[in-house]
Amino acid sequence: MTSSLGEPNLLAISFFLAFIVGSLGITVWASRRTRTADQFYAAGRSVTALQNGLALAGDYMSAASFLGIAGLVAVSGFDGLIYSIGWLVGWPLVMFLIAEPLRNLGRYTFADVLAARLRQTPIRIAAAIGGLAVICFYLIAQMVGAGNLIQLLFGLPYEVAVAIVGVVMLAYVLFGGMIATTWVQIVKAVLLLGGATLLAGFVLARYNFNPLALFAAASEVYGTSVLGPGRLVSDPIDAVSLGLALMLGTAGLPHILMRFYTVPDARTARKSVGYATAVIGFFYLLTFILGFGAMVIVGRGQITAIDAGGNMAAPLLAEAVGGTPFLGFISAVAFATILAVVAGLTLSGAATLSHDLWVNVVRGEKADQREQLRVAKGATVLLALISIALGILFKGQNVAYMVGLAFAIAASANFPALVLSIFWRKLTTAGAQYSMLAGTASALGLIYLSPTIQVDILGNAEAWFPLRNPGIVSISIAFAVAIGVSLLRPVPSEEQRFVDLERQLHLGVE
Amino acid sequence: MMAVYFGFVLLVAFNKPLLATIVMPGLSLGMLLGALVIVVAWALTWIYIRWANTHYDEALKGLRR
Repeated sequence: MTSSLGEPNLLAISFFLAFIVGSLGITVWASRRTRTADQFYAAGRSVTALQNGLALAGDYMSAASFLGIAGLVAVSGFDGLIYSIGWLVGWPLVMFLIAEPLRNLGRYTFADVLAARLRQTPIRIAAAIGGLAVICFYLIAQMVGAGNLIQLLFGLPYEVAVAIVGVVMLAYVLFGGMIATTWVQIVKAVLLLGGATLLAGFVLARYNFNPLALFAAASEVYGTSVLGPGRLVSDPIDAVSLGLALMLGTAGLPHILMRFYTVPDARTARKSVGYATAVIGFFYLLTFILGFGAMVIVGRGQITAIDAGGNMAAPLLAEAVGGTPFLGFISAVAFATILAVVAGLTLSGAATLSHDLWVNVVRGEKADQREQLRVAKGATVLLALISIALGILFKGQNVAYMVGLAFAIAASANFPALVLSIFWRKLTTAGAQYSMLAGTASALGLIYLSPTIQVDILGNAEAWFPLRNPGIVSISIAFAVAIGVSLLRPVPSEEQRFVDLERQLHLGVE
Repeated sequence: MMAVYFGFVLLVAFNKPLLATIVMPGLSLGMLLGALVIVVAWALTWIYIRWANTHYDEALKGLRR
């Protein structure tokens, strides 16, 4: 089978333009409602549970989920599913531990929760470093995915494609703030679910709607080994490390945590996680079908011939089962997916830079509404430029793997400090601060020393650190530092402050 | 939740042959358990929301007074 990927696909371009025009329309509408910092960062706290549930799903189901997992499953079989499962189980954790206290205690960013009970300046600086590191890695993955996709789809040069994503996303965030970003996420979530369901339906129609017949066909062609764990997680400790990072990382992603501030109260936050978990779980079950469908119907050879990382498996599958028009539709959906996630990431990065660093640290909370908005918008432009530069710099990386690393940083830098600040009375400012810094530094350092950078990229014979995913070490370091430092130097006044705040933390009353 | 998930991850890490066992044509134990982990996540989330909406919120209301 020959693929029309790489030649300009007129239908894909029209779907894609329709999405851009529609979403910019939303942005224009939203821009009229974006006058204050509350509206810019938190959509005026007026988002309903279902809307926020869909928007959470939209923020979460990134290029890695759709293109990356489908590709990993198509190329490595069962191993790819480990990502699907790990990314879902983070959600119950967010629900049980984080969502409600976060909504009760914070305003715009997750650092607000830590800052409420600890000394703000050191905490916000440390949280900003961790948060921005996560956002950068996540952005790289999305931009690389977008660049590949547009290049293959429209025949545009990679660099131009990355720049287009940056500029359109900038328009959403800059003019429409959280209101536009939320609606773009909702539209995208519905498109992505619809597109993936349709695609899975087309695949299953060939197997009498029996998934097992599809999996059996896969094992006939490639052997039953594709249905069991394989090479990708050959090292047991690496498998546990990846599993930990995927699960705990969700609860440390700044752009996901930020969404809990867009709803009116903790009860709505809780319900929205319920909707998000249902939608995301359904989508990840579909990735089983999409991945094996691509493996059988398109074939591994063709998938890896077009992109070594396997990222184009889903679009290729769409073409195989539905022809060029469906390829166009699915590609446009994948593109919308990326744009929306990039917008969410950029907005949370802007909130970190302006709300955490500028307003609270530099200006000591003395900035008025106009200044807050001005700085937030400046930060947005800066982040858009950085994301375009990173996307061009990291051309050719596997998308799901890069996001896996972003999760490892989130799980090490943000999760330990955040969860301890909600549940542990004795946590001190220094403990949380050093935990976040140690988590970020160890995750980044170990990634640099891992086989991925040392062997695959730098071409050294072996790596100093054996694991491809640093989670198990860096998460442990972050917890150990937080607990150790807090116990070695207890601060009774901060403990008292937590006791005072506990009421607000759980009850949500001022 | 964590117990269920880490049970699964530990099997992936240390007992690959078991997960590769074919239960019926086209279905390995690993894929069956993987899908079940997702279903358990759904069920736990649903149970928590039911509990929180009926009991937990009432208890909070009582505390606020």
